[in-house]
Amino acid sequence: MGGLTFDWIGVLGGAPLEWLELGVLTTLYVTFAGFLVATLIAIVLLGLRISEKQIIQWPAITVVAVFRNTPLLVQILFWYFAGFGLLPADWRAWINDDHSWAMLPGGVGLLTPEFLAATWGLGVFSGVFIAEEIRAGLMAVAPGQREAALAQGFGHWRCLGYILLPQALANAWQPVVGQYLNLMKLSSLAAAIGLAEITYQVRQIESYNSHALEAFAVGTLLYLAIGMVMGQILLRCGPRSGTMIRGGIRRGP
Amino acid sequence: MIEFRDVHKFYDKLHVIRGIDLSITKGEVVVICGPSGSGKSTLIRLVNQLEILSRGDILVDGQSVASLRSRSLRQLRTQIGFVFQQFNLYPHLTAEQNITLALRKVLSITPKDATLRAVELLERVGLADKRQAYPAQLSGGQQQRVAIARTLAMRPKILLFDEPTSALDPEMIGEVLTVMRDLATSGITMLVVTHEMGFARELADLVVFIDQGVILENAKPSDFFLSPQHPRTRQFLRQLLSPLHTAND
Repeated sequence: MGGLTFDWIGVLGGAPLEWLELGVLTTLYVTFAGFLVATLIAIVLLGLRISEKQIIQWPAITVVAVFRNTPLLVQILFWYFAGFGLLPADWRAWINDDHSWAMLPGGVGLLTPEFLAATWGLGVFSGVFIAEEIRAGLMAVAPGQREAALAQGFGHWRCLGYILLPQALANAWQPVVGQYLNLMKLSSLAAAIGLAEITYQVRQIESYNSHALEAFAVGTLLYLAIGMVMGQILLRCGPRSGTMIRGGIRRGP
Repeated sequence: MIEFRDVHKFYDKLHVIRGIDLSITKGEVVVICGPSGSGKSTLIRLVNQLEILSRGDILVDGQSVASLRSRSLRQLRTQIGFVFQQFNLYPHLTAEQNITLALRKVLSITPKDATLRAVELLERVGLADKRQAYPAQLSGGQQQRVAIARTLAMRPKILLFDEPTSALDPEMIGEVLTVMRDLATSGITMLVVTHEMGFARELADLVVFIDQGVILENAKPSDFFLSPQHPRTRQFLRQLLSPLHTAND
C-alpha cells in the first residue's frame, strides 16, 4: 500500500473546476429559491395554525405531520417523478421549452423540472419545520403580553404582528437559522434527481478521474464555507437580537 | 361610571365571583382588598373583559360590557387603562416605543404626536431620561411607572390597577405609590386591587373587602379601618396590620 498522494489539480483545474463552479452556483441558487419558498410556506402554515378556528388548523396540522415525518429524499423523488407528471401537459411542455430569460448567471436553468422539484421539495420540507419552530417561540411568550395588548385595544392579528411575533421570532431565531442551514445542506439530496449541484459534480469528478478523496474534500469545504457565511448573515439579520435584552424581566413571588 | 349588577364568574365548576353588586361614580377611587383567592383580581379583569362574564352584567358609562364583541369591545378597552402586577411591558420595545405603539396602531395618532405624548408622560412619572431604555434595563419600580405612563397615554376614563406594587421590592413601592397618589387626586376614576392599606386609608373614597367572591364590607376608609362590621374583615385587618400577633387568634 503506497502512501497517500494527492492530486489537487485533477479537481481544481480543467473540466472538474468548471463543474465545481457550476455546482456551487446551482447550490446557491436552489438554496436561495428554497429559502423563499420555505419562508412563504412557513408564513402560510403559521397563519393557519394559530387561527382561532379549529377547522382552519386541521389542514396545517396534516401538512406538518406528513412532511415532517417522511424522508426528504422520498419527497424530492415524489415531486420530481410523480408531482411533475401531475401538472397539465402544456405546463410541462412550457417548462421544458427553452427560456432564455430563465437562464440564471453562470448558465443554471431556473425553469427545469430538476430545479423546480428540488426548490419546491426543499421549500416545503423546511417550511413545515420553520413554522413549528416559530409556533414554539410564540408559545414561549409570556401570557401577560397578550393580555397587555388586548387591554390596550389591540385586535388578534395586530397583537400578533406587533407584539407576539417579534418576540416569538427572537425566541426561535437560532433554530430557524438552523433550518435554513439544513435547507442548504439537504440540497445535496437533489443530486438524486440529477440537479447539477455540488454533490452531483463531486460524484461526476470521481467517476471522471477517480479523485474521490480530493473531490469530496473540496466539496465538503465548499459546503462548510457556504454554511458559515450564510449562518453569519442570517444571525446578523436576526430580529433585534442585539438590542433586546432577554431574561431580565422581573418576576413576582 | 361603573356598575356591577349581580356579577358571577365560574371557572368550570369553581364559582369565584358570587353575585357582586357595586356602583362606582365618576372620579371615585375605590380600593378592593381581600385575601388571596378571594376573586378581587378576577373582578377587575371582568370590567375590561380580560375575563368573560358568566352571569350578570357590568355597565361602563351606561354601556353593557357583556354584549360587546370585537370592534366595540376593543373600543371600550381603549377607554379603560389596566396596570398589571407583572407590568407586562413589551420587552422588545424601548420605554418610549412601549407607550407609542398603541397610540399609533390602535388610536391612529401620528408618530410625532405619539412621541410628544410619550415624552410628556415619561416626564410625569419621573423617567424622562429612560426613553430609550429597554424594560430589562429598568428596575421593577421603573418598569411599573413606564407601564402606568403607557396606560395614561391612551387618556382612559377609568384606570384599573391589579396589585401594582405586589411584585416590587419594598424600597420601590414608594415611587409607584407616589405616581398613583397624583392620579388619585387628579379626578380620574380608579379601581385598585391592593394590599397597600396606607394608600387605601389616605386616598380611597371607598374600600371594598371581598372574601370568597362576595363583598363583605363596602365603606369609607374611616369606617372601614376604625369600625369594620364583619368579623372576617376584622381578622383580615389584624393580620395585615400586625401579622406577627395574630397567630393565636
